[in-house]
Amino acid sequence: MTKNLHTTPRAKTPPVEVEPAADEPDPRYGVGERRKRFDALGRVRGTIRYTGDEGIAPGTVFVGVHRSTMPHARIVAVHTEAALEIDGVLEVVTGSDLYKVLGDRIYTGPAFADQPCLAVDKTRFVGEAVAAVLATDLATARSAVDEISVEYEELPPVYDVEDALRGDSFVHEELRPSSVFADLAHLHGVRGTNVAYEYRQVLGDSAAEHARAATTVSATTWAPPTHHVPIELPSTTAWVDSGRLELLSTTQTPSYVRQTVSDLLDLPLSRVRIMTRPLGGSFGCKMYDRLEPLAAALAWTTGRRVRIDATREEAFLLTTRHGAEVIGSMSADADGNIVAVSSDVRYDTGAFADVGPRIAAKSGLVAPGPYRIASVDVRSRCIYTNKVSAGPFRGFGVPQVTWSHETLVDELARELGEDPYLYRRRHLLREGDIATVGTKMHSADFLTCIDEVTKAIGWDKPTPQGDGRWVHGKGVAVGMKAVLTPTIANATLNLNQDGSATLLISTVDMGQGSDTIMSQIAGEVLCLDSRRIHVVRADTDATPYDTITAGSRSTYHTGNAVRLVAEAMRTKLLGFAAEQWGVPARELVLDARGVTHKKSDKLVTLPELVRAKFGARGATVTTSENFTSWWVPYDHDTGLSEKVTEHWFAGAAAVRIAVDTYTGRIRTQHLAIAGDVGRAINPTLVEQQLTGAAVMGIGHTLFDELVFDQGQITNATLLDYQLPSIKDVPEKMTPIIVESAHREGPFGAKGVGETTILPIAPAYAGAVRDACGVRITTLPLTPERVLHHLAASENARKAKR
Amino acid sequence: MNEITLRVNGTPHKVAVDDTTVLLDALRQRIGITSTREGCGVGACGACTVLADGTSVSSCLASAVRYDGVPLTTADGLAEDDPVVSSFVDSDAMQCGYCIPGFVLMTKELLAENPTPSDEEIADHLEGNICRCATYPEIIKAVRLAADRTAP
Ligand code: FES
Ligand code: FES
Repeated sequence: MTKNLHTTPRAKTPPVEVEPAADEPDPRYGVGERRKRFDALGRVRGTIRYTGDEGIAPGTVFVGVHRSTMPHARIVAVHTEAALEIDGVLEVVTGSDLYKVLGDRIYTGPAFADQPCLAVDKTRFVGEAVAAVLATDLATARSAVDEISVEYEELPPVYDVEDALRGDSFVHEELRPSSVFADLAHLHGVRGTNVAYEYRQVLGDSAAEHARAATTVSATTWAPPTHHVPIELPSTTAWVDSGRLELLSTTQTPSYVRQTVSDLLDLPLSRVRIMTRPLGGSFGCKMYDRLEPLAAALAWTTGRRVRIDATREEAFLLTTRHGAEVIGSMSADADGNIVAVSSDVRYDTGAFADVGPRIAAKSGLVAPGPYRIASVDVRSRCIYTNKVSAGPFRGFGVPQVTWSHETLVDELARELGEDPYLYRRRHLLREGDIATVGTKMHSADFLTCIDEVTKAIGWDKPTPQGDGRWVHGKGVAVGMKAVLTPTIANATLNLNQDGSATLLISTVDMGQGSDTIMSQIAGEVLCLDSRRIHVVRADTDATPYDTITAGSRSTYHTGNAVRLVAEAMRTKLLGFAAEQWGVPARELVLDARGVTHKKSDKLVTLPELVRAKFGARGATVTTSENFTSWWVPYDHDTGLSEKVTEHWFAGAAAVRIAVDTYTGRIRTQHLAIAGDVGRAINPTLVEQQLTGAAVMGIGHTLFDELVFDQGQITNATLLDYQLPSIKDVPEKMTPIIVESAHREGPFGAKGVGETTILPIAPAYAGAVRDACGVRITTLPLTPERVLHHLAASENARKAKR
Repeated sequence: MNEITLRVNGTPHKVAVDDTTVLLDALRQRIGITSTREGCGVGACGACTVLADGTSVSSCLASAVRYDGVPLTTADGLAEDDPVVSSFVDSDAMQCGYCIPGFVLMTKELLAENPTPSDEEIADHLEGNICRCATYPEIIKAVRLAADRTAP
């Protein structure tokens, strides 16, 4: 089923205090309803508090960070005396100070334990944290860092993947896989390489298939490193209270951070507390190890309450999106069937592996694309260089490989004289098909996605002629991503005696609206108005373990835990009534009025029921549940798995553009995007994810990129780093929700946060190809680059004449 | 240090500042106004917008002493039934919400100058504010709705 969603907003704000308004068709705000965020008014007036808005407790000290000026160098000495002399400076802490206390535990990281919170013996990128100044105020802390001087002994830098693969110099002496992933253990202690991890996928004999194919296209694509730039800056405050390390931080991974801090300081989990607030955006940059290990180490070793606020320039140095090169080929037989795809994927992970090894595998595994393909050969590598570290970013490395496979399939269709939409349509994976990685497709309706987006932009209508200066074109692309698997989600539900409820989960609301949809799921099960269900902000002292808020996994995983915990609550409540009335629980039903016994016409409201059970007003009833997904690890030799993921995301984009052949500028006339979300728990929030991810994708397509000079970022301010503004929104944009229910999703739902960022760039490049006949394989499609290609093709034409 | 009076949403606050204190820090750290936020510190994102005598100012670049006695408006000072506030709420014009107070104040300024802006005028006026969640379609709807609600 599909819905084309362009509804006018409700003219009425649901009151915060809940009495169903007479004109509301269904006042429960359950699954499928366009409920508003519960704190909408606070978000508009700015009264909700983000992490950095919390008051500064007396005695708080502020941290300034001295950063490396060398891409790769041994640290000979750090001179701190001059900084210490400044009024207001309390202490200066170096990596070797911390190493004396923490030893190798100073190295943390999600896949590899290779990130020291302060550089210990060498520095691996320009901007790496080398020393921390603790001062009574922020301005003093920040200015004092300039008084620190460091003596370096330069080492040969590794600037890009070519350098790295040549192997003359190594970013890390040896690989240090973390204890988190058992399948990385064999890499421990490997020396003499910059390749942190390599994933291979081998299906059939692709060399032979390529050799006998009728048509082959090849392309080397490049997607540059970019930055997330959520508008909220990172902020972490840490302190010690009665031997416990407590920390409030801008993180989307509180459960992970608790484990990291516990390992770092060698404390039991019970002595570490991580608190969160809503995030002012993240898109992947506020996860894993950012400011937290440094804040925890400083608070623990100095006993002070420390606050670290990153400036915008510093935020650029905490993590980035992987730049990736893909050398790919796609071949078809005489009937046009895709018989072989090979793909050599090179993710530049910078100085720290972070979660790069996971990206190399989980994104590498979709590098061939969501097509019926007879044979594949994928080699996907995570490669160290002396640059700022790259980590997770909305799409988790998949946009970079989608850029490759959609470029190839588009070119192949054109080479075969076929329509790029219909060619894809013919070869896309369908329900029940097996993806190249070996896993069966379910609830990933590529056909409806691609049909709907092409229909929306009028694919069959003639493209305007243009006026000699402006030329017009259309493009289409799809994208496929596996949800993060396996992951663990827990939920605890407290039903209050008054018939309201409090839900405890560790999903972090960073704008996607999880606090709102989770209560819609619980409310649906319990027939409660979801506005009576409050979701507690993640706090590891109270909310239960949850792997991560990332990878579009929360709606499905945490959503399932929430569904289960609400079902458990229903069972418990029915049990109370059964006990009170002396009837079997199976004869009872829970509905919006309370519990009823049909046979005897008995009815009890929830407040009465709970009060009768405990004899107290204000009592609570508690249930807890877990939902864990499972997978079959990749086969060691082939990289195949019969269940590599719990489910797939399927998305598509189609676009009509005009290209100014004088300036190279691209104007978007109509962009349609579709994502199969299984079931939209809240269509308004789903549409916002579809359009939000698409506009972010437009930035990646047209201008967004980090520029490096000798390993140093040269555009790390918002004056230099361009982000999509209101003027970059397409003249027309159509978000389309596709719902092919997942058999195990909560009410059929999957996630949606990343789906439409995947196909944007290749859809645009296809449209440029259509409009001007040039195929651009390097992102972004800046005016200069477009002009350059136009000139080159013009010259080639002239030369032929 | 100079003692100045910052008049924020009608309330005077005496604060001690020096010549280098920026208005953003004075509002956040001295008065506790947290709807005004830092996103870039260089005047390029609009998260720190305040209205000074009705005119938008990037408070991250503005010297606090220059606003001694000037009536300042921040988003939290707007009434819940303010037409711009209610239009943003009713249009779901927010995701993470971090940037939204800045857009709200820019919209107040726009509609005071031009009660019936065209879409192009809306975009021209809001171009300097960045919403990384890209809530732009809903923001445009909200501004149109606010214009309707504000119309005499
Ligand atoms: S913080 Fe002032 S414009 Fe960005
Ligand atoms: S709503 Fe998140 S930055 Fe605008």
